Amino acid sequence: MSEEKSSNKLKAKDFITIGIFTAIIFVIEFACGMLGYIHPFIVASYVVMVPIVGAIPMMLFYTKAQKFGMITIMSVLIAIIMFVAGMGFLGAPLIIGAGVVADLIAKSGKYKSFKKTMLSNGVFNLWICANYFPVIVTADSYRQDLIDGGYSAEYCNNLFLAINYKTIGVLLILCFVFGCIGALIGKAVVKKHFEKAGIV
Amino acid sequence: MKLDPRTKLYMILIVSAVVMMSATTPFLWAVRIIMTLIPVILLIIEKKYTSAFGFTFLYIAALVLTFVFLSEESTGIFKSLLTGYSGIVVQFMPCLITAWYVVRTTKIDEFMSAMQRMHLPDGITISLAVVMRFFPTIKEEYSSISDAMKMRGISFGGGNAAKMVEYRMIPLLFSCVNIGDELSAAAITRGLGGTVKRTSVEELKLRVGDWLLITAFTAVAVIFVLFKYVL
Repeated sequence: MSEEKSSNKLKAKDFITIGIFTAIIFVIEFACGMLGYIHPFIVASYVVMVPIVGAIPMMLFYTKAQKFGMITIMSVLIAIIMFVAGMGFLGAPLIIGAGVVADLIAKSGKYKSFKKTMLSNGVFNLWICANYFPVIVTADSYRQDLIDGGYSAEYCNNLFLAINYKTIGVLLILCFVFGCIGALIGKAVVKKHFEKAGIV
Repeated sequence: MKLDPRTKLYMILIVSAVVMMSATTPFLWAVRIIMTLIPVILLIIEKKYTSAFGFTFLYIAALVLTFVFLSEESTGIFKSLLTGYSGIVVQFMPCLITAWYVVRTTKIDEFMSAMQRMHLPDGITISLAVVMRFFPTIKEEYSSISDAMKMRGISFGGGNAAKMVEYRMIPLLFSCVNIGDELSAAAITRGLGGTVKRTSVEELKLRVGDWLLITAFTAVAVIFVLFKYVL
């Protein structure tokens, strides 16, 4: 994977850690996604819920990810799972891009500096916006498709009121901000529970 | 019937792609429903009756709701709730059924050797295999945690949302980290992550059934695209 020193190479144990945390993050995303179908405005509030709840496993993951590539692989996995789950591949570049940048940021802090980790978590959380990509990129045809596909017009109108190409910027910023806030909460939780137990 | 893991991956690929393009005419709906039936039949062949009928029942219920009960003019909270849930079921059920079938019937070593045959990097292969194996584990662990909380009478965390999340998440993470350690020990014993190329006792071969399914799914994809975008 990485062309660095052999001690920095990813080993089987690291891959297993990545797999486990990806599964947990995805379960959280899925649980929040189920809520989203209650009302379109909740779909928009993913950007608050997923970063904050997901930050707890993410911060635990950051304590285990000390090598370059782990966050990148995680983002690739998320992209694959999103595709399998029927979300399409439109979001894949954003997801993997966010993963690589987040990895680089964390690397610049040698995976130790908390400030860098916080920023990195914020950037990583931008992947959540990939959920909205089908809505934005193909707005007009998607709306018609939804109505033809049996959604009520009211649901669609609300959905496009909450998510369109104007609000996507706001949503991206919110993702980042709540990613950073989530990192603070997540760090506190990790400290409270895991450091005391000696797991980290 | 034993299928090659590569056929199963191809099935997932096609189903996800078709589900992404929304069906707009009755004919397209028919194509999509037929496509959904294939994994259901495969599940029945594998004698997984409960999941097969459970999925079918949910899918049919959601379809009926969407087409008979709801229309463009539906308003109100109850209707919008229903729209949401039947929407999610109709949209994602085909993917879910296929993914469920694949996860349930593919052994991890089969999956690994298939991925190796396709020359995917080790990192992706191992991590994906762990993800696949881990979803049922999370479910199991989670239900034991819920049981434990019920016994102590703290399942609602005193009505505090943050506590509710905390009480569930922390024990789950603890057990997942522990399972992860055990898993890596087991994996290293089996020579994962060594420098030598791994071999497998599972011989991968595309049989008649595989070719039939590949043809069927290719046909579905071609028909769908043709009728949606060309005609």
